[in-house]
Amino acid sequence: MISFDFEYYKPSSIREAVDLHQHLSRQGKQPLYYSGGTEIITLGRRNRIYTGAVIDIKAIPECRAAAAGNGTLSIGCAITLSELHDSGLFPLLGETGAGVADRTSRNKITLGGNVCGRTMYREVVLPLLLTDCSLEIAGPGGSRTVPIEQVFQQTLRLQPGELFVRAVIDEGFTRMPYAVVKKRKQAAIDYPLVTIAALKTGSGIRAAFSGVCAFPFRSRTIENTINNKQLPAAVRAELAVKELPAPILSDIKGSAEYRGWVLVNTLFDILERLERMS
Amino acid sequence: MDEQPTIIGRSIPKKESKDKVGGTARYTGDWNSSGLLHARLAVSPYAHAYICSMDLSKAWEVPGVRAILTGESSDTLAGEDLRDRPIIAKKKVRYHGEVVAVVVADREDLAKLAADLIQVTYEPLAVVNSPTEALRENAPLVHEELGTYEHTHRVKPMPGTNIANISKLRKGDMQKGWLESEVTVRQTIAFGPSDHAAMETRCALAEIKRDGTVVIDTSSQAPHAVQRYVAQYFDLEPGQIVVGTPLVGGAFGGKASIQLEPLVYLASKAVGGRKVKLQNMREEDLITSPAHIGLEAEVKLGATNEGKLKAAHITFYFDGGAYSDKAIDVVAAAIPDCTGPYSIENVHCDGLCIYTNHPYASAYRGYGHSELTFAIERAMDTLAAKLHIDPLELRLINAITPGDTSPSQTLLNESNLGDLPACIGRLKEIIEWDEWQAKQVDEYTIRAKGISCCWKNSSADVDASSGAVLLFNRDGSINLVSGYVEIGTGTKTVLAQILAERLKMDISRIHVKFEVNTRTTPEHWKTVASRGTFLSGRAVLEAAEDAIAQLKAIAAIVLRVEPQDLQIGGEKVFYIADPNVNIDIKDICYGYTYPNGNSIGGQVIGRGHYIQRRRVHIDPETGRGVPGPEWNVGAQSVEVEFNRRDCSYKITKAVSVIDAGRVLNRKGAEGQVMGAMSMGLGFADREAFLFNQHGIVLNPSLRNYNLNRYGENPEYTVEFVETPCVDAPYGARGLGEHGLLGMPAALADALSRAAGVMLNQLPLFPEYIWRARMRGTPP
Repeated sequence: MISFDFEYYKPSSIREAVDLHQHLSRQGKQPLYYSGGTEIITLGRRNRIYTGAVIDIKAIPECRAAAAGNGTLSIGCAITLSELHDSGLFPLLGETGAGVADRTSRNKITLGGNVCGRTMYREVVLPLLLTDCSLEIAGPGGSRTVPIEQVFQQTLRLQPGELFVRAVIDEGFTRMPYAVVKKRKQAAIDYPLVTIAALKTGSGIRAAFSGVCAFPFRSRTIENTINNKQLPAAVRAELAVKELPAPILSDIKGSAEYRGWVLVNTLFDILERLERMS
Repeated sequence: MDEQPTIIGRSIPKKESKDKVGGTARYTGDWNSSGLLHARLAVSPYAHAYICSMDLSKAWEVPGVRAILTGESSDTLAGEDLRDRPIIAKKKVRYHGEVVAVVVADREDLAKLAADLIQVTYEPLAVVNSPTEALRENAPLVHEELGTYEHTHRVKPMPGTNIANISKLRKGDMQKGWLESEVTVRQTIAFGPSDHAAMETRCALAEIKRDGTVVIDTSSQAPHAVQRYVAQYFDLEPGQIVVGTPLVGGAFGGKASIQLEPLVYLASKAVGGRKVKLQNMREEDLITSPAHIGLEAEVKLGATNEGKLKAAHITFYFDGGAYSDKAIDVVAAAIPDCTGPYSIENVHCDGLCIYTNHPYASAYRGYGHSELTFAIERAMDTLAAKLHIDPLELRLINAITPGDTSPSQTLLNESNLGDLPACIGRLKEIIEWDEWQAKQVDEYTIRAKGISCCWKNSSADVDASSGAVLLFNRDGSINLVSGYVEIGTGTKTVLAQILAERLKMDISRIHVKFEVNTRTTPEHWKTVASRGTFLSGRAVLEAAEDAIAQLKAIAAIVLRVEPQDLQIGGEKVFYIADPNVNIDIKDICYGYTYPNGNSIGGQVIGRGHYIQRRRVHIDPETGRGVPGPEWNVGAQSVEVEFNRRDCSYKITKAVSVIDAGRVLNRKGAEGQVMGAMSMGLGFADREAFLFNQHGIVLNPSLRNYNLNRYGENPEYTVEFVETPCVDAPYGARGLGEHGLLGMPAALADALSRAAGVMLNQLPLFPEYIWRARMRGTPP
């Protein structure tokens, strides 16, 4: 049960949504864009999130569209993880999303919600980072389309009132060999101990990580290391783990030592597997 | 007449199933009415702290708030053997999640809003975070006033320490036992508290009527005990209190404790007796309400070179948490069965019930037995390794059998003891134990089997009893009324089977009353301890005899024979010498009317009760006594697929062979055992509260307190041996808990075999196994 009251709005265009957000902000209502609402419900009932108004974006056509054409794949932020998986549009993205929560929750959790959510793992961003995709972001000043690496550093850096509308991905990436492995503490459904998504491109293997540090990331330094074919895969995996952008997480899901061990092994397995694939 | 049982053993579907799967079954939380007030709790964020001040002003500003209760609202101390627990924390809090205030408001959201606005200033205290810490010299005291609490005569709290009670058992001559032992082993084990996580969170409602009648509705396993204790806590007459319990959505021992009922009674009293409802949120149900007990234990075993056990020295350090509530009795229940199902002449056992700053313990399926089983079975495995004897063979050599005495010094026979050698024998065949015990599948994968044995008596109160009433309807069908609470075990359907069998009638003509109400339902002691079928089944059989006598008496008059010439079947009363001379029960069960209008008899009301026979109190110094009517036994196994690199694993198979005495409802019995196995595996492989150094539970929600989910389950095999317990209904032995008991030990055995290290802690998280392998403790 959520004990604070909040207003509900359901705009049908991006413009209307952005205007509403501005208007409600000025009234001090701390509005939130929302689609699935899983975080608002679960954190709101424990007073870890507060909002005086929610702006439901499910009636905005751009947010709910997912289509391929002209060499690009466009995925709206309000596409659920279940839809993403079942559509088969981008198997790496679909499978990465399918590792989040359980099916019932994934019927509600969306691409945008997972990328922008407060839960630190944000695993669905990993394939987006690997594909150098562009994000369309709408705000009070209009829409802009920006390369993901410019706006995603640990979290998606949105300006106040901005809405992540959709991701635009070069379709070529959706057909490349890939691997995604999620290791959990014990249960089949849980947050990651380590999640690695990897893509084998013409210029080498790309890898992005969640659960390893307190944020998801892709690292060019690590990619240079794992693509150094002079060294055996096991050595490359060991070296890569020394190049992490932040200390390894140590929490109730696993200690830093164990996470590090699982990370090396998982990375090694992925390298072995992808290097065998053509 | 054909005496062959017909319905016993058949898989009759539970009578309440259609309502449950259709979503129309009613539980306590479904209670709603206009004018109902709602209560919500404010709970402690600290595990041990003084309450310095409370500011209720913001909470009172919330519209619709009717009352706010704090520790000052009542001087009552609650508890079963030892009354150590304020209904609402007073002066200090002793565990994370303890209730510090209760808000009553017109709506639940308003009550919650106000509860969240209560501001409490705490002064944190050093915490006691484990039994080991509790026993250290100069350990902080959880209860400084332990010497002042009221308690029963069988309990001896130790003021100035964190020991609520010590239960002891002394059998034989330890010196002789060690002298006869050629090999000895010492084994320690440990696991922390966890939870039951029943699907239905606990809920209670209370109302105080103008005439002083207190009406309590509660999701309890023990409505009659609620009546007794609430009367005791608040100086009321038990008869003044009416406790009602509809279907209960899973209990597992967690609903045997009495916690919300006194809280909601005080809440109702604070608002002039209006009806108040209090339903736990999941987080509260996990840590505020009582949990599953933790244990640290040390077991020393002595045996001959041939593997015959000669001596056992066992010390249990139970983590009862912040209040002794049911923990003292859980410990006391473990003591008489402390050796597991093995015959040992010389036994020394101490069971300490220890206070810590953890959520306090309720009963948990097995009541001390899954806990003791883990300790004993791990020690048996260590002994087998040291002796180079096959671990299953070691158990067979020592299996307790008729002619032996229990640790409580009861002489065992074929009736009061199940057949363990038969269970072990069948298990061995099913799991193909002699074929292989561990094998490498590929570079990283090892498959391994693990085994365990278990036993349990019931340790219910010596005078635990059950009553039953049979009310005939005009159509000759019967309403069966028993105080047994339907917690999901299907027992009320089994009672209908027992009655149908005795009266030789169709089970569809027996209507079971599911709701229990202390004003209209005969008492069933408590729905716990795998004793529902035994106690209430015997009561139903006696009620059937009573009804039969009444039916025969009136039929004898109508048919002009003597009652002893009559028999009952197919809803008729027959003259034995000529079955053509008979009368339908529907024509006599509401009295018989002659053609001219003269009437005799009246509604037939069968009445029966059963009290346990020849129970003897367990002596607190020696453990001598008779803890229950029968020890049931089982042999179990788990198979795993283990990854040697990251130590992750999958449980692929789990097997239980249990002596059912007599299977009354096959699918029901299999379901009970399978469910218990699933619960035992969850307890073993993932369920635990994760505490930080300050005693704070870091995973008080199902987001991080993981449960076994459908689809993660192994392939289950459940088989029964049938050695009747002669005084049980149709020979049936207790079955509800046994499937759980040996699962943790069997899993630890399989993983130890696969990992090549002894694993003696729960839960068996892969990281724990990885660390054990790094340390390299040899098996």
